[in-house]
Amino acid sequence: MAEDAFVISASMIPFGKYRSSSYVGLAVSPLIDALQRAGVQKSDVDAVYVGHSYGGMMTGQRITKEIGLGTVPTVNVDNACSSGATAVHEAATAIAQGLIDVAVVIGVEKLTQFGGGTLPLSPEDREVRQGIVMPAVYAMRATRYLYENDATVEDLALVSVKARRHGALNPFAQFRKEVTVEEVLAARPVADPLTLLMCCPTGDGAAVVVLASERARNRLGAGKSARVAASVLHSGQVAEGYRDMTKPEITYQSVRDAYAEAGIEPWDLDMIEFHDAFSIAELVYYEAFGLTEKQSAVSLLRDGRTTFGGDVVVNPSGGLLAKGHPVGASGVAQVAEAFWQVTGQAGARQIPDARWAATHVTGGGTAGLDHGACTVHIFEAA
Amino acid sequence: MSVTPEAPVSVPIADLENDDLLGAFPEGRRLVGTRCADCGQTMIGDRVVCSACVSRDVSRVPLPATGVLYSFTRLHLKGEAVRAVGYVDLDDNVRTLADLREDSIPLRPDVPVELGFDGDDWFFTPATGA
Repeated sequence: MAEDAFVISASMIPFGKYRSSSYVGLAVSPLIDALQRAGVQKSDVDAVYVGHSYGGMMTGQRITKEIGLGTVPTVNVDNACSSGATAVHEAATAIAQGLIDVAVVIGVEKLTQFGGGTLPLSPEDREVRQGIVMPAVYAMRATRYLYENDATVEDLALVSVKARRHGALNPFAQFRKEVTVEEVLAARPVADPLTLLMCCPTGDGAAVVVLASERARNRLGAGKSARVAASVLHSGQVAEGYRDMTKPEITYQSVRDAYAEAGIEPWDLDMIEFHDAFSIAELVYYEAFGLTEKQSAVSLLRDGRTTFGGDVVVNPSGGLLAKGHPVGASGVAQVAEAFWQVTGQAGARQIPDARWAATHVTGGGTAGLDHGACTVHIFEAA
Repeated sequence: MSVTPEAPVSVPIADLENDDLLGAFPEGRRLVGTRCADCGQTMIGDRVVCSACVSRDVSRVPLPATGVLYSFTRLHLKGEAVRAVGYVDLDDNVRTLADLREDSIPLRPDVPVELGFDGDDWFFTPATGA
């Protein structure tokens, strides 16, 4: 990046079901809190980026007008589950290019508006018309993964057990109750081999982060921050024929570019928040993040190397499986977790001396693509 | 003096007109594919442009009735019967999402499969002798 960008504050509501809150109702409190914690006045804000997928027209402006934050550009971003992270990417890029000094990023989604069930996908898509749903995509990934690797359904359950254990420590998590391998395996089947407890929940949420240039950070007297060491966005590339669903190329590309931009190696990371929408994803992404050179994904998990006390804590927040996954909000919530960890504000789930943190979120079920979008960020304590 | 040509008019593609994946061909009912005359890529469905070389010189072709099951799942959606779906890699390296049925041969990755019909519905099932 040409100029450094820093996350200087983060706020969010606990993810959950808020049927009596609108998109505005979900987002305004964390917006006010994030500005206050950053010591940022409305007049300091140069631009607002808002990630959401189902908020409808002018979601961002509907939120910001409630606090009279207008005039400056407000950009509404839709990249499905990657919407919030794409908004962070746009903000970080604008600061890195020297175009702006202070950006507010809002991620917000209200999935309870759909009354339950799987995520609504575009009926213009051929496979959606054939009846594809996101759990089926990940379930096929899981079936193939178990077929090709020395992994079992118990390993898929173990991912959920770890996520719930982490979520139990996180006051922002939708699920704060621990589960056992037996409970995960005995849960209602959703898409074999995935049970309900191997799937992220439906919920609502909002998260807000404030980004600033070095200039603005100094001027505002911001305290501990997270330097944006890498901000990468890739789109999926169509495959009309064979595709290896266990090696999602869009994540491999994004991770490779992010490590190069940050100048670090996989094991330099103290934590990663990645896109564990379904438990199989965690195993697939250990490899994509370069953690499996010496040890297989399942042995990393079984040996506890990716939980608290291990080498790199994966999804310290509980991840999408336990913290929840209001799609447009998730990418911003991951950045909030990274910010809190590298600035020592993570309470019971604090990773000691956390310096390097990565976040990863993919987006979209689209025929022929692995995912539509993938965003990876790396942050350093600053 | 050079004359700048008038800006050409782009036309919309009527892709909703015929989005049925099943078509009638001389060899019988087959999944509909599209082959590019310029680069030879074959794609699923009725398409008007090649996603590899962007040629518009493409034609409608029948896709093979046989292939290999890449992966599958049984979906348990609320209020619906359990439904098996999977990705089938057809013999010409086109992947299609498909409903699956099984009789004596169980579904598993890499099992050879063939196209079957039930009235207007189509599905893939493990091939006889698989």
